[in-house]
Amino acid sequence: MSKYLAFTEVVFKDRALLVSALESIGCTQIRQGENLAMGRYWAEQAETRADIIVPRGTVGNSFGDIGFMRVEGGAYAPVLDDLDKSRALGGKFLPRLRATYNELAVAQVAARVGGTMQRTVSGGVVKIRVRF
Amino acid sequence: MPEIEFTIREETGEMELQVEGVQGPACSDIAKLVTDLVGAPAREENTREYYVSPQVARQVQQKKS
Repeated sequence: MSKYLAFTEVVFKDRALLVSALESIGCTQIRQGENLAMGRYWAEQAETRADIIVPRGTVGNSFGDIGFMRVEGGAYAPVLDDLDKSRALGGKFLPRLRATYNELAVAQVAARVGGTMQRTVSGGVVKIRVRF
Repeated sequence: MPEIEFTIREETGEMELQVEGVQGPACSDIAKLVTDLVGAPAREENTREYYVSPQVARQVQQKKS
């Protein structure tokens, strides 16, 4: 073993991978652009802007749109109502999106190093070995 | 054979990885490939193998008699 890295922050650095991951978890209608207005459905909702928007009701997000806003460094951070955080995809929206995004990132790394992938799942843990 | 082992926890979506069998700073190139896609890691450790320089085979030329 020569290096160990752990990623815990909820940001998505690659826009194309993020959109692919969103589509993979059922977000079939995505609005994309720059600084788009997110929908306001309740009087108390403040005006919020984002660059990638999953419309309200797509994945059980009944309280509002789910957005992804470009932040410093070029990554995208999620913007969503706290209630949707606990309800979208049964409260698993962000974990499933991160896991899917990370798997897509691994596939891209494997392709770039010309490696072969071996994937196993056990006890809620996905292990992917890339040999090259 | 060099290998990268990725571990993704379905409960949180968090990912960890270990690079094995890559000596020297070459494994930083691999780490960069990953961080370009997933961002900066919260934790990073270089293990002993990281500090091993790649070995270059010594060539001995025999004198022709």
